Parts: sequence; structure tokens; C-alpha cells
Amino acid sequence: MFAELSSILNASPDSFTQGEFVLVSDRQSDASFLIHHFLSFYLRGDAVSQRLGVSLAQAKEKGQLVFLEGLKESLSVLIPQDTNTGSKAMDFLRDPAVGLKSLYEFPSSVSSSGSRAEGAEEWGPLVLLVDDLSVLLSLGVSVGAVLDFSHYCRATVCSELQGNVVMLARCDGEEEEGDGDDEGSETLLKGLTHQCSLTLHVQGLPTGFCRDIHGQVEVCWRRRQGDGQSTQKKLFQYKVHDKGASFFAPGTSSAVL
Amino acid sequence: MLTELLQGTDAGGFLIIQDSASYSGRHLLKSFINAALHREEAVHVLGFEVSEEELKDGLIGASIHRLHFHNAYTDPLGWTHNPAFTVHQFCSEGVTQLVKQTSQSKPATLVIDSLSWILRHVGPPAVCKTLQQLRKGGAVRAIIGLLHADMHQRGTVGSVCHMATSVITVAPGMKGDEALAKITKRSKSGKVMQDEEIFSFKEDFTVVVQNRPSQLGLKQTETEERETDPTANLTFNLRLSDTEREAKEKLALPFVFSKEKKTALLHSGRGSGRILYEPDANDDYDQEDPDDDLDV
Repeated sequence: MFAELSSILNASPDSFTQGEFVLVSDRQSDASFLIHHFLSFYLRGDAVSQRLGVSLAQAKEKGQLVFLEGLKESLSVLIPQDTNTGSKAMDFLRDPAVGLKSLYEFPSSVSSSGSRAEGAEEWGPLVLLVDDLSVLLSLGVSVGAVLDFSHYCRATVCSELQGNVVMLARCDGEEEEGDGDDEGSETLLKGLTHQCSLTLHVQGLPTGFCRDIHGQVEVCWRRRQGDGQSTQKKLFQYKVHDKGASFFAPGTSSAVL
Repeated sequence: MLTELLQGTDAGGFLIIQDSASYSGRHLLKSFINAALHREEAVHVLGFEVSEEELKDGLIGASIHRLHFHNAYTDPLGWTHNPAFTVHQFCSEGVTQLVKQTSQSKPATLVIDSLSWILRHVGPPAVCKTLQQLRKGGAVRAIIGLLHADMHQRGTVGSVCHMATSVITVAPGMKGDEALAKITKRSKSGKVMQDEEIFSFKEDFTVVVQNRPSQLGLKQTETEERETDPTANLTFNLRLSDTEREAKEKLALPFVFSKEKKTALLHSGRGSGRILYEPDANDDYDQEDPDDDLDV
């Protein structure tokens, strides 16, 4: 978890807005470090584990973290073997017309069955993290089906269960209007932007590569905040290092000042 | 023009609010809903994109009972066993039935949030047909729809907007709070009016229209006109008095081939040199071929 990012988003593991749909996107860059932030942010228990860091394996054992490895499962669908114990989540690969309904049923089944063993702790609200949606496009799913899937995730997880959803979507091309090869991911990105309440868009610096500044993040709040502003945008530059990432206002990198 | 539209669409009117990913038109949509509720109209909302709580958030409490929200948000495609309203039920019979169930005898205002959701699943021709039937049907007095222009091809957006009596395209404004609205209104007589306005919202979703962007353009030309006197405020004098100006205009420039010079050259006066040439026998003056003596 990146403390600076948490303060930028006005959130702490003890108090964060519920029912939020966060869209993490990148263009010709890599925003997966933000997924790491959100993963450790939501898995956090108390102040003690904060200092010790979060162990994903432990979380998985306790049942706090449920992992669906999409690509691995999709391989078992595409290359069927005898011992096929995969869940039905990736069945859409067999029949594209069905849409992503079976994939959507995975988080709702997890939340309703409540993978709570006896004596297990009561976890907080459900959080769904998707890394990343653009892979579904390359697996042959249409943009409309992916947008329907994200809509249903939002309707169930955010509105009904008051949980949070974080989705990653990636774009390879330049932002341009009209027809291009990358039209699918552009339309997907626009559709997701309309649906979400918070976007974090990662891009390289417009002036080129730099050793000390790895890129810029544009944070955009789309829902009405308490003070009445409907849309608020902030731009930050960031640098990723071993222990995390640091965020600073443009031009205030430690290398410059 | 935005205020006029907010005060009430005519019967049979169809208003489209076009927005994009950079600025959401839902706030303006809520302003229209608010205004309709204040006018004591029944408002029916087909909500595909946002939940009921989110749509009703911020709208005034007293007349909220006239707002009927038809939930197409939780299950618009019928993936669960008990869908409330699916996108495939969007046809004129389905919607008319829905409106008549809950409304009194007065025709209601129908709000569609959003048309983009429907267009993604039901093709543009079917959507246009349904909208046209609803307008002529009589169960619905006016229709207001939200359309995400960047989600569809231009042809789709164009054909749906062609059916509208008014189209408002919203975009982010220069300052944080403000937004720009481009309005096109078609009256029944066929006259088309267009306008651009900058507006912002107050806490209760009422719209405050600020100065128009065209006024900023006028101010710019005024400052340009004021700047055309470079001879003022100098330490030396660049201006001419009247006699100086006359003398300047009279002066003949040296290398300009004026009329006077032409006549002087053509008719050389007395006393100027004259050249007389009489070729004698020694001069090789052959009229036919002046280069005859060349040995080439």
C-alpha cells in the first residue's frame, strides 16, 4: 500500500468510501503497480499488519482472498484434459454468444456462499479486483459483453453489497478518434469511464523517458463530493521503487528540487 | 436558451443530452428531472445506468413521490431469474404499459438513462421506431434521454439526434465548476436555433447560466482596436504637421518612373544633346543579318 496514494485518495484502510467503482487504466504504460496498492490496501487488517506488510498466501489460506486465475482456467477450457476441475467461470470461451454471465456468477457465488469456515473472522465488505479487462478482449470477447459484465459487477458488488470494485483496463495505441486497430480497447475504456466513480489513468511523461520520474497519474473523481464539485481532476507524477511508489505534484520530484 | 428548455419542453418534445467521458451529463439530466417535478409533472425514469439511490441523491424531497423509477439497473439482461425491467422490453407497448400502471390520467415525462445502454443492445432502427411511437402515442408527454456520444459511431448518434426537437451537448468548461452547453433547438415551424452557454450547478441542481462564450470573443476585438497608435508615448516625435504632410506628398521619389519623367525623355527639350547617326560605307550595316560578319 502506498501511503501517499491513500492520502491523495482521501482513504485509509479503516475508512474508505464504499460502493465505489475504481477504474485503473494505462496507455502505453504499466499500471499494475496500482493494483498492488489496492490489493494490499483492502487486505489490511489493523495497524500491526500494516507494519509487517500483507502476506497474500496467508490471506488466501484464511479465505480472505479468493483468486481466480483466468488465463490458467481459459487454457483448461481451450485444451481440455481428462482431469478438468476448472470452474465454470471461463465457459464463455466455448460459447461467445452467452456473454460473460458465467464469469459474473463467480464473484456473486463467492459472496453468497460466504467462504467462511467455522471460527473464521468476519471480513469487511466484498472487494472485487480485476486484472485486467483487456485480456478478455484479446480472448475474443466483444466490447459490449465486457461492459455488460462490468455493469453487473457494479450493480451487485457496489450497489447491492456496498462493496468496492477495482478494474484494470489497458490501451496500447495513441488516443485518436475514428477507426484504428485499437478501437476495441478505446471504446471499452470510454464505456468504463462512464460507469466508474474514480479513475486513475497512468501514462508515460509526454516529454519522453526519465530515470527519476516513471510517468504521470491523472486521478479523476466523477461522483459528487461533499463540497459540491461534480468532477475533480488532479495530476501527479510518480516513481516506482522497491518498497513501493512515491507520488508528487508535477515538477516537484526529488531529483529536480 | 438552456433556461427556456428547463422551464418545459413542449408536448411531443424529445430532448437529448449528449455527453462524453470527459464530462458527465447526468447532473444536467437531474436538473431537468428536478424542474419537471417542480412543475408537478409525473416523471418516469427508465434507469439502466445508475441505481435508484444514486439518481435520487440530491433531488428535493417534497415532490419526489411523483418520480417513478423503473429499475433496469440491477438486471437489464435477465441474467437472474427475476428481472424487473430488461432492455429487450424497451418497445412502445412495454413502456406505455409501464407508464400507465403507475401514472394518473395526465401524460408523464419519460426520462431515459441512458439511451446509449439501449442502443448497445437494441439496434438504432428499433430504438428510433420506439421513440417515434412513444412520442405519437399519447401516454408520454415529453421524452428526455441521455446519450454518450463517444460510445457510438457518428451515424448512430446522428440518426437518434435527428429525431430530437432539442439537443444539448455538454463539455467541460474552462474553470473547474463550469461547463459548456451547445444547444440546438428545432421549433415546430421548422426553424433551427443554435446557441452556446456556460453554466454551473447550485447545490439543489438548479442551473445557473453564466456569460456566453461569444461575449469573450467580442472583448478580444475591442482590445485590438485600442492598440493601433504606436506614435503615442515616445521620447521623439513621429507625427507630422499639416505642412510637413503636404510637402511629403508632393515629393517625387527618385527611381519611380512617373509621367513627368516619361514625357521628358520622349520629347527632349531644346539644348539637350542630340545624337545623329549616318552609317557610311565602312560600317557594316546589313539590315537583314546583323551577324553576317561573324565567322562561326
